[in-house]
Amino acid sequence: MTGVDGVDLRVDLGSLTLEHPLVDASGTFDLLENARRFRGDYFAAFPYAAYVPKTVTSGPREGNPPPRVTETACGMINAIGLENPGVEAFVSSLPALRPLRQPVIVSVGGNAPEDFAAVVRHLEEALDSSPGPPHVAGYELNVSCPNVRGGLSIGVDPGATAAVTTAVRALTSRLVLVKLTPNVTDVRPVARAAVQAGADGLSLVNTLRGMVLDPATLRPFLGNRTGGLCGPAIKPVALRMVAEVAEELPGVPLVGMGGVTSGRDALEFIACGATAVAVGAANFSGLEAPRRILEELRRECAARGFARVGDARGLALARAG
Amino acid sequence: MTPSARRPGDGHEHPGQWAETSRCRVAGARRFGAFTALEVLAPAITREARPGQFVMVTVPGGGFLLRRPLSIFTARGDRLGLLVEARGPGSERLAAVGVGEALEVAGPLGSAFPAADLRSALLVGGGIGCAPLQFLADALGATGVVVTAAFGFRDARQARATGAFDIARLWVTTEDGSVGRRGMVTDLLAAVDVPPSTTVFCCGPAAMIAAVQRWTATEGLRGYASLEAHMACGVGACHGCVVATTRGALRVCSEGPVFPLDEVVTG
Ligand SMILES: Cc1cc2nc3c(=O)[nH]c(=O)nc-3n(C[C@H](O)[C@H](O)[C@H](O)COP(=O)(O)OP(=O)(O)OC[C@H]3O[C@@H](n4cnc5c(N)ncnc54)[C@H](O)[C@@H]3O)c2cc1C
Ligand SMILES: Cc1cc2nc3c(=O)[nH]c(=O)nc-3n(C[C@H](O)[C@H](O)[C@H](O)COP(=O)(O)O)c2cc1C
Ligand code: FES
Repeated sequence: MTGVDGVDLRVDLGSLTLEHPLVDASGTFDLLENARRFRGDYFAAFPYAAYVPKTVTSGPREGNPPPRVTETACGMINAIGLENPGVEAFVSSLPALRPLRQPVIVSVGGNAPEDFAAVVRHLEEALDSSPGPPHVAGYELNVSCPNVRGGLSIGVDPGATAAVTTAVRALTSRLVLVKLTPNVTDVRPVARAAVQAGADGLSLVNTLRGMVLDPATLRPFLGNRTGGLCGPAIKPVALRMVAEVAEELPGVPLVGMGGVTSGRDALEFIACGATAVAVGAANFSGLEAPRRILEELRRECAARGFARVGDARGLALARAG
Repeated sequence: MTPSARRPGDGHEHPGQWAETSRCRVAGARRFGAFTALEVLAPAITREARPGQFVMVTVPGGGFLLRRPLSIFTARGDRLGLLVEARGPGSERLAAVGVGEALEVAGPLGSAFPAADLRSALLVGGGIGCAPLQFLADALGATGVVVTAAFGFRDARQARATGAFDIARLWVTTEDGSVGRRGMVTDLLAAVDVPPSTTVFCCGPAAMIAAVQRWTATEGLRGYASLEAHMACGVGACHGCVVATTRGALRVCSEGPVFPLDEVVTG
């Protein structure tokens, strides 16, 4: 039975069962801001299978000087610089997420293992003293932000990535994902190091470092000079990296992302070995984008005769042996 | 629904903001030089819209990842007016939209010009920054406020935009003197005779806003500025649109675009 409604979209991201493969990419979607601007009950309409908020750091961060974003050919560039109010403020905002049925995966950032540990320790203590809802199911360790000083120094180094993962693994039994950067010659050693240090899964990719000039002055446009490129322009790079990691580490759940704007894009990431797929910049095309992408994914599966979305997983990978 | 909520103490208004997208038919498109005045049928938006607010518009035809922020130029009945200046590929496409086409529009978004309890208002606009001031003039005029407007344009071609406006007391300057007075719009301010209870509203290039800020400070006038920033989401999610203010870095799409003039930090 593969009628459009008959497609089984559920996926298991490690120990976490998601009702469908789509999640939001950290930093591109704010549930509470949407709820404030939505006429109905946004929690009931929440389109993603899990909520990944903007990266949280131990202390508040102001972010980079403006300008911070602009459109580029088939994509966009950003240098937000991890602006966020810090873990304490994040914890006090959690009760506002109580009506959320779906799990939350908290994106964590920092410059050293101690920073990541501080955020996770703070959250674990808060969650112990007031266990959900919302259901905080795990963490995504952002070792790959190109827009803060030292942000990439962890994610390009297998040893440093392992150290961050080890520090967090020791503090939690929740799901731990490590988010990888595409700004490396070979992503596989970093991926392997994260998994050997205890990561349950991997997310990839973060943005590609780039630069945009102001056409009038020929000076860098962004306040931070450089930024992170994302959107359809990077999809081929992201697909290649997801496939490389899937072939290198079969069985490790992957959250694929980079330029997903349609259901077909999402299916392509799954064919490259992803279990779940994150939607980033496409959120900026409108509040309705994630629902549309999900319906397109369902139809793509039905049209191809997949009873379960998982039937597509790995179709693009080189066959073993 | 509570379309309007004033947060006490911060001196400007936070009306309802709505992110859902409406598919709107284009009912009018008139060209004025490099400007196009569009009218789209958007009752859900015009019902709620307040002067100073903006909408996020999808560039039709595909090929653009981000929507474009456009000020609400007019809101008359169920017709939402937009004034578009072709400045790059996205705005060029929007300026070329024809009657009968459909546009995807989300809004109204952002903060509004406070329009209550005023007696006299001076509206200062530069180039496309004049756009949000027509809606403000309409709203103030309807409540009997005396409205004077001073608009500055580069040259005669840009000044053709004045044809899209309907403001009785409108002064125009052009930098090359081809239309109205020669010079910058802010040169005109000293010459405009306004009562001391006047509130000043401005929108335009950063240098113009800085000059208006200096002038209102010297004259002891209350003022508000609508600021521009490159945006990604338009709905408070990405923190891509922040500007420096005396209250720290704030989002133009959410805390703005309208800020009290004395909060604006000009570089
Ligand atoms: C609150 C607000 C209200 C605005 N109201 C109007 C209006 O009523 N009429 C009008 O014609 N224009 C208005 N603008 C400016 C308009 O959004 C830009 O001219 C337009 O986005 C340019 O797009 P483009 O593809 O033609 O240019 P490009 O330069 O090719 O655009 C590339 C990227 O930069 C962004 N961008 C470029 N210039 C600006 C700018 N000046 N401000 C913000 N983003 C920019 C684009 O959105 C896009 O993401 C407003 C901007 C803001 C922030
Ligand atoms: C404005 C913006 C802010 C982002 N902020 C974060 C962040 O805080 N943490 C993070 O891990 N990734 C962040 N990212 C990267 C995205 O999560 C995602 O990895 C990347 O954009 C690729 O996906 P996309 O092409 O679908 O946008 C950000 C991206 C954008 C565009
Ligand atoms: S444009 Fe995203 S927060 Fe303002």
